[in-house]
Amino acid sequence: MKLRRGRVLQATFGCNPNSSSLGVDVTFLLFGSLLASTLALLLGALLRRNPQR
Amino acid sequence: MKVLRARAERFGGIVEIERPRALLHVDRQMMRELGYRDSPLWQLAEDGPLSAPREVHVVLSRRCAAGCRGCYVDATPDGAALSLEEARRILDQLAAMGVFHVALGGGEALELDYLFAVAEHARAVGITPNLTTSGLGLDADAARRCAVFGQINVSVDGVGPAYAQARGFDGFRHAERALRLLRAVKPEVGVNCVVSRSSFDHVPEVARLVKRLRLNELELLRFKPVGRGRGLDEELTPAQCRALFPMARRLVFRHRIRVKLDCSFAPMVFWHRPSKEVAAFFGVQGCVAGDVLAAVQPEGAFTGCSFLSTAAADARIPGAMAAAWPSGFAEVRGYPARAPEPCASCEYLALCRGGCRAVGSPDPGCPRVQEHRARRALPVLAT
Repeated sequence: MKLRRGRVLQATFGCNPNSSSLGVDVTFLLFGSLLASTLALLLGALLRRNPQR
Repeated sequence: MKVLRARAERFGGIVEIERPRALLHVDRQMMRELGYRDSPLWQLAEDGPLSAPREVHVVLSRRCAAGCRGCYVDATPDGAALSLEEARRILDQLAAMGVFHVALGGGEALELDYLFAVAEHARAVGITPNLTTSGLGLDADAARRCAVFGQINVSVDGVGPAYAQARGFDGFRHAERALRLLRAVKPEVGVNCVVSRSSFDHVPEVARLVKRLRLNELELLRFKPVGRGRGLDEELTPAQCRALFPMARRLVFRHRIRVKLDCSFAPMVFWHRPSKEVAAFFGVQGCVAGDVLAAVQPEGAFTGCSFLSTAAADARIPGAMAAAWPSGFAEVRGYPARAPEPCASCEYLALCRGGCRAVGSPDPGCPRVQEHRARRALPVLAT
């Protein structure tokens, strides 16, 4: 049986310097779900390719 | 892609990468593929609070000479402050808990002569320090030393006369100079703009400033009636609550800048029914106090966020924060499970979490709550 590959579930970009947490990155929220799923696959592939730590 | 740090969570883990700078939530299988061993947390149900906050706001002091009329920490020129040793010990504890980022602020953190020592210590223990400042008193030498920070945002609540109107003193020239000095040192420089009833119409001018100075973000922060802001009648009107997200969208398209909204604006965003899947993937959430976020106050109180006053522990006592974390913020975290209408039947409740606890629950700024109240009287449960 083929093992399911790992997934990126959530991505938050940049650092938050504020007293309240970053709630909404309007820039990313404007994109569609296609971009979110594509980005999840891309980030997952990049993570696997070079898992330095 | 370089993994800087990672920690296990019930769902898998959180991985910090350097380029692009991001925190990624990954599932258990991905953690294994990255070479991490199975965690005892993976024996638990995937739903549940994080093992530690991802970011902590360390309010270094209530000390500031500016005297802004709406200051949420009620800062004064001789307000309380954490000492350098206390701040270092707190950072050591946060590092041991696995915290990724701290936001250093105040008060005016630049008034503390040990601010850079605190930031360097954060780096030394593996935490990224970020800074919010008014920019008052920042000179070229201090700007160069600010390279130690990750993101630095300068508070600009209006341009020119609108700054003085919003903050109660004329500091715009100082803030603009600070932005130019910092931008000459590093690209991760942005603007914090508190959006209040009277400053709402001036936000586009701040966006133009962000574009003109080539800053990397405009973060809009909701005015909250805490600290000296408690006595001001500056909360957004219902019409402004509805117009906030469309305005932010327009600023992104018109100026091609990155616009972020703080977690307290979540109900005003979800009322416009964005994609739940996209929101979840990009971490768009309402109140994350005592979950993604926590705060340490200058007197040592470990709180869910810097706008909440109920302390779960004294952060200056070794081990107290880690011991308090699992159950210390159950009341704040538990709102979605006990939410009354109209939150209870809202399809965005899991993401919105009922809005901002510092403002009220249910959040009176939520258009859905406003519509519900227009139909029937609804009690506000103060927290």
